[in-house]
Amino acid sequence: MRINRRDLLIGAAAVAPGASVSLAFLAPRYHEVRRPPRSRVAVLHVENYSQRIAEILLAGLQLFPLNVAGKSLLLKPNLVDYLAGSAINTNPLLVAAAAECFRRLGAKQVIVAEGPGHQRDTELVLSESGYGPILRESGIRFMDLNRDELIQVDLRANYSGLKRLWLPKTVVEADFLVSMPKVKTHHWSGVTLSMKNMFGIVPGSRYGWPKNILHWNGIQQSILDVCATVPINFVIADAIMAMEGNGPLNGTPRPLGRIVLADDPVAADATCARLMGLEPDGIVHIREASKFLGNSSSTLVDFVGEAVRSPAEPFRVVPEFEFLRQRARA
Amino acid sequence: MTTSDASVEDLRLLLAQKQLPSGGWAALSSSSQPALEPTALTCIALGPEFQRAHDRATQFLLGIQNSNGSWPVFLGDSPEGSWVTSLACIALHDKIEAIPEQLKGLRWLMDFAGAETHWLWKWKFRTTDRHVRFDPDKFGWPWVPHTNSWVVPTAFAILALNQRCACGPDAGSSRVELGIAMLLDRACPGGGWNAGNGVVYDVALAPHPDDTAIALLAFARRRHEPTVEMSVDWLERVAPTLAAPWSLAWSILALAAHDRPVEFLVNSLSSFPGLKQIEDNSTLAAMCLALDYQRALDAFGVTA
Repeated sequence: MRINRRDLLIGAAAVAPGASVSLAFLAPRYHEVRRPPRSRVAVLHVENYSQRIAEILLAGLQLFPLNVAGKSLLLKPNLVDYLAGSAINTNPLLVAAAAECFRRLGAKQVIVAEGPGHQRDTELVLSESGYGPILRESGIRFMDLNRDELIQVDLRANYSGLKRLWLPKTVVEADFLVSMPKVKTHHWSGVTLSMKNMFGIVPGSRYGWPKNILHWNGIQQSILDVCATVPINFVIADAIMAMEGNGPLNGTPRPLGRIVLADDPVAADATCARLMGLEPDGIVHIREASKFLGNSSSTLVDFVGEAVRSPAEPFRVVPEFEFLRQRARA
Repeated sequence: MTTSDASVEDLRLLLAQKQLPSGGWAALSSSSQPALEPTALTCIALGPEFQRAHDRATQFLLGIQNSNGSWPVFLGDSPEGSWVTSLACIALHDKIEAIPEQLKGLRWLMDFAGAETHWLWKWKFRTTDRHVRFDPDKFGWPWVPHTNSWVVPTAFAILALNQRCACGPDAGSSRVELGIAMLLDRACPGGGWNAGNGVVYDVALAPHPDDTAIALLAFARRRHEPTVEMSVDWLERVAPTLAAPWSLAWSILALAAHDRPVEFLVNSLSSFPGLKQIEDNSTLAAMCLALDYQRALDAFGVTA
């Protein structure tokens, strides 16, 4: 068997995934530093999904100097697939409440947009997850990002080696993007929060279901490249009913009773990790993003809601990420 | 004329009206970017009654073929090629003037395989990366180059190659056999398929109706595999509950291909509310195919 240079390169990645991941992070691979001097996070106590969410959310949003008047807003929930009794997706009541709040704050247009990563029939996911009727009743437009018109975009970081991606026109042209993740553990990336949620903007029609190219080029690396390229302007994380264990699909629902708002996705994700009882800087993409996209250190965050308290029992994770629980406890 | 006859003609007319000046169709009605999947499906769905639209679509497909024989996902896409090559070959199957292009496309498909075929990745999936249960020796086709094999692109590639193999002995049959083995390997333990992960972290994942239906079309000539029978049974149970026309349309095609009764499902599909407001042109085309399923099965080379 003849081994060429390409084989050796593939072999290096295949034989030592840990080493290849580490090598990618030795040198900065981002084009610009967008990290603000300080970030703002609000943790809101919300026991359940009810009609009062909009009221609580609006009060929370008013803790931020948001200027959305006249802007075209894109709400990007985490809508992956549907399994009865699971906590896979951002709750549609929270998404509708966010749309209502941003309209009240003067947004010109609010649309909900997502490209489900597992299920190819977006209409079926919308219908089964309860999104369809709620969006229709609220008069909110939905855009299927898996099938939108595409524009080629040069990536603003080079961790994955992808260099450029075709991205949906609706995303590229939005004035203000709100990432609305479901707070979950994830068996490949440790957690899936506002930054990992951005995989949903990568179009299935071009890259397939799941968006396997992002996995082959490194999940953590791809998260960084996508988030460096498409800025997240605000985060509303659904931690009212979160997920622990074998997420993002087959974990166990875990009530946290919180919504996390933030003007910085890195601060949002670090805060959510702490609420889960996990060490944020142990999560590769959060740690690396804190160099150029936002602040993971709580000393650089102004907390304007309730205090961030880690649970007595950290979220369960798959064995590969057990160290996140141990480090947080330490 | 039955209700479904009326609906299918209405939908075909609606689709014909959405044809872009280039001759292709966009994924969504609001877009002007012609894409391969809706164009190929519409081409198959319209049939000879819409000769002019059909001819323009054929010219569009022939005009955007990549120099390597593959087809891009949409007009303007990079020339590397993608899974829609199978759909383009199926759409051009009965076009005498397109035989050279179709053969070129099929040759490209023969060389197009999941990245797990590389011996180093196989080794990795057998040793250090075993959380997704699959046999990397059983490979099919990916959505795009340099990624794994997945269920839908594999099923469509099998359909496209089967059409050519049906004309006589062909080297494509060995790839078809491998693809069939890959689909059986990736099935969900209780029957059916999702994108292609049957078991992850020792947990059985749930099947999806559309992925299952498309995979079952590829098994129309092998109905007696236990996995296939179990999957048909699963789809037959789920289909009446489906609240989305795309999944229901593919389910009708698959169940018809496996000789299960579908008339009540056809009636249910044709009475879906708001059919004419559907933005997704591939869904409209799939509905046309399902409402006239016998002709669609002929076009896919899967006659019940």
